[in-house]
Amino acid sequence: MKTVVERSMNNKIIRAKNVGLASCHICDLVIELGDNDATCCPRCNSKIHYRKHNSINRAWALLISAFIMYIPANTEAIMVTGGLGQESADTIISGVIYFIATGDWPLALVIFSASVLLPLLKIISIAYLLIMVHRGNELRKKEKTRLYVIAELIGKWSMVDIFVVALLTSLIQLGELSYIVPGPAGLAFAIMVILTMFAAMAFDPKLLWDKSEEK
Amino acid sequence: MKENNKTLIVCHACDALQDVSHIPKGNIASCICCGIRLFKNTKSTIERPLALLIACSIFFVVANIYPVLQLTIAGIERETTLIETAIMFYSEGSPVLAVVVVLTSFVFPGFCVFSLLYVYMAIYFKKNWYFTRSLLVWSSQLLPWAMLDVYLLAILVAVVKLVSLASVILGIGFSAMVGFVIFYAACISSIEMHVLWTKLDENCCGTQYE
Repeated sequence: MKTVVERSMNNKIIRAKNVGLASCHICDLVIELGDNDATCCPRCNSKIHYRKHNSINRAWALLISAFIMYIPANTEAIMVTGGLGQESADTIISGVIYFIATGDWPLALVIFSASVLLPLLKIISIAYLLIMVHRGNELRKKEKTRLYVIAELIGKWSMVDIFVVALLTSLIQLGELSYIVPGPAGLAFAIMVILTMFAAMAFDPKLLWDKSEEK
Repeated sequence: MKENNKTLIVCHACDALQDVSHIPKGNIASCICCGIRLFKNTKSTIERPLALLIACSIFFVVANIYPVLQLTIAGIERETTLIETAIMFYSEGSPVLAVVVVLTSFVFPGFCVFSLLYVYMAIYFKKNWYFTRSLLVWSSQLLPWAMLDVYLLAILVAVVKLVSLASVILGIGFSAMVGFVIFYAACISSIEMHVLWTKLDENCCGTQYE
């Protein structure tokens, strides 16, 4: 291990996998894995692999299911507002249009970007990264890695719409006079956000850097 | 061989192996290969996060005890806490979604803050307390699912929507939530898991691993 340290000090980049080392993704302990593919971390007892297992397949599966859920999340009603015998259903987009019409454009921007744009951008960027890993594309690996980090970070902000619906539902309950109920899109939307978060976790950015060594 | 273990770090993003022992205090180590932030060698590795965690836990308790909003709709005045909104959503709205909301806005943030507080206390008082390791593993796994900051944004959006229907007064719980979110963000950026684990090892008579 001594030689490894000296070489990495000389700014020569060494991949941990090529020298038989791997780090625990929970506690960052670096251990010698050698020919084994997986072992338990001696410090925190979680699994250590060279690469996340079945990373590409799992990420694709989760991503495609998330995309399927994205469709009802946007076409179905997210919120049903009712009162005095009348009932109206709102989709996310119609809510956004309502805000623009009433002049609340900052709010429209928040809702639109958090619940329409962000999930779509996240799905597209992870799909793009997966395709790039398939094709062994070598270009702009730094930027791709950054894209992955950003995609992983922004994921949870999509949940804002679910929380808004939850708050409005529980706050406006005046029986027949006025009520709000979550529509079928609510569940689809929550599932979609959770699936994209799992997809981002399943993807292993190290795969972006792997191909260059093999060639 | 064993001594070198702890100065080595492997980048999570690109698998580049690097030695971080020469990083001076107060500097951020970036990966030599992909430029992703590896960790910050903070000056106070334990005291600062511990102080922020104490503040966070106080804010968390206050935010959940006191009413977040005071609503007046059609002459009816109501005060609601976070828990009450969740219970209401469970019974009137969708139970499945209510469970998701309670987990992400109450259980996970609370669990993460209190278990990290416990771990930091154990390290600060140099005590070898039970469950520190498993709590640390669990809280670092659950950290991405703690969404109280997103919930705060949702409250703001909901308030703007409600203003046309009712008169809304923001309560003590809301101020506490703002405090929580600010301190939580500061706290998360000051916690360095890899330093924390090393300290935890020193705590247990300097355990060494191969």
